[in-house]
Amino acid sequence: MRALEETGSMKLPRLVAAAIAVAGLGLAGCDDNGGDPKMQIGANPALPAVQQYLLPPIRIAKAVSWGNGEAPTVPQGTQVHALASGFVHPRSVYVLPNGDVLVVESNGPKAPVYRPKDIITGWVQSFAGAKAKDENRITLLRDTNGDGIPELRTVFLDHLNSPFGVALVGNDLYVANTDSIVRYPYQEGQTSITAAGTKLTDLPGGPIDHHWTKSLLASGDGSKLYVGVGSNSNIGENGIEAEYERAAIWEVDRASGAHRIFASGIRNPTGLQWEPETGKLWAIANERDEIGPDLVPDYLTSVRDGGFYGWPYSYYGQHLDPRIMPQRPDLVATAIAPDYALSSHVAPLGVAMYTGNGLPYRSGAFVSEHGSWDRTPLNGYKVVFVPFNGGHPSGPAQDVVTGFLDANDHARGRPVGLAVDRSGALLIADDVGNTVWRVSAAKSGSPSKTAS
Amino acid sequence: MRHATITEATLVSDSRFASAAKARGRSLRTTPAWFSAAYFSGALVTDLAYWQVPDVLWERFSIWLVTAGLIMAGLAIIAYVIDLAGGRQIEMPALPRVTGYAFAVLLSLMNAFIHSRDGYTAVVPTGLMLSVLVVVVLLLTVWVDRTSSNRHQIGG
Repeated sequence: MRALEETGSMKLPRLVAAAIAVAGLGLAGCDDNGGDPKMQIGANPALPAVQQYLLPPIRIAKAVSWGNGEAPTVPQGTQVHALASGFVHPRSVYVLPNGDVLVVESNGPKAPVYRPKDIITGWVQSFAGAKAKDENRITLLRDTNGDGIPELRTVFLDHLNSPFGVALVGNDLYVANTDSIVRYPYQEGQTSITAAGTKLTDLPGGPIDHHWTKSLLASGDGSKLYVGVGSNSNIGENGIEAEYERAAIWEVDRASGAHRIFASGIRNPTGLQWEPETGKLWAIANERDEIGPDLVPDYLTSVRDGGFYGWPYSYYGQHLDPRIMPQRPDLVATAIAPDYALSSHVAPLGVAMYTGNGLPYRSGAFVSEHGSWDRTPLNGYKVVFVPFNGGHPSGPAQDVVTGFLDANDHARGRPVGLAVDRSGALLIADDVGNTVWRVSAAKSGSPSKTAS
Repeated sequence: MRHATITEATLVSDSRFASAAKARGRSLRTTPAWFSAAYFSGALVTDLAYWQVPDVLWERFSIWLVTAGLIMAGLAIIAYVIDLAGGRQIEMPALPRVTGYAFAVLLSLMNAFIHSRDGYTAVVPTGLMLSVLVVVVLLLTVWVDRTSSNRHQIGG
């Protein structure tokens, strides 16, 4: 009996030492860096094994603002300047037929606290500038003479509910709030709308509303609206019932407001665009977190009617995610691998298919990468160009607009929504720099303006 | 029932080495530790429930129970440090109890991180295994403490 006690009490300190060692290993695991993002660009990204963490890596870029005269960096032959600044968290831009630019100033609804982790997450996000005040409004910019300096700036629509997507069909202007699509009457040249909107349909909103942005795109004939509805969690941790009709692209009938699920299993689909050559629907998606710096690559893909793209059960086709139970082998068997990987955690949030000729880019998609928060080294924080040929990506993504990070890896800005204006210039909403940037062709004879 | 017996045993052992007044104060100071042990045990129950029926509600119960246990453990540790700062000697018979408890708290801290993962692997298998281990360590600690105090009783 006594001998047993002795060994019992002797063992405990040794176990403590072992526990400390194990905890130390777990912490050391946080330092493992991500690989070269180039390995994950294109149709066949390298996919490492799933990692699970004691403490998942967090690597945010502290939000600072642009200094006087500072601007993003653009390639030779182009120039960049602020179309306008002083916005409050601008998330998307939309160009009306008469050339007026709508800037959606918006932020997500307050996230509920379900777990102690939610408190920590909210605190971390505040450093990255994600918790900015939201104005929930749309501002109109009018540049009549096309010199890139708007002469008019008005509040176009106010008192919205975390708006993101905008689509104009004839004289009907649709705004996708986080919980509904609302239609407003619009006449060309109008600089503000005071008329009350009419709700077309509800969209999945609170109380969780994890991915709150609802992107919007009208069909060519104007009969349907396509809506990107993001998931209600990272990987189903809020329960599968919270994901009802989420992580999907909706097709909403414009006449009746009825909807059907056009495609599903896309964790956070945004940047809905028609590919100009084939007329097919394309989207970008933010993939899942916390299984490694190089998992899972975010992507750009064509979207098939009725297609299932894996979330939450699998990624890139049939790669299973162990964090979801019960699993659905029946669905996984049908999962479609996306067309084009953009590399991991870059957080694509805007697409502009380019058909203009103002910039030295032909046939392809500009994609804005808001930037990573859980990967070392940081990834994204730029706008890239994915060349297309015959309606499909045809080469590696090229950096177009960079310099959002300063030398200390602080974020002076983060690109979100993209649009192409009437003159073929690229507009970029920057929700940390609170600016809309305009990238246009450099005037012949003048050197490209690339402010530090 | 079993808990009641254990508590009594501890109090008895305390009273043997301290004045009556001191014993009363000390029993108050160990209260947070008993609360934390109860929360950690509760987390094992909700983990087992989640393992059987993976409903996120059980998972949330577990992480809050582990967190509450850690907060209580924090209070217990503060009380213990104040005691030490106040010049109280570390009594040899208390050593296994203190070490065992500290080990359980350390494991629970790891468990809180594991339980903060997203989805099924927040619990199965690592979280559940840690919850079992914590309860085993706590029971073992109580058992060692009780037998060693018995020994002192006999020896003294």
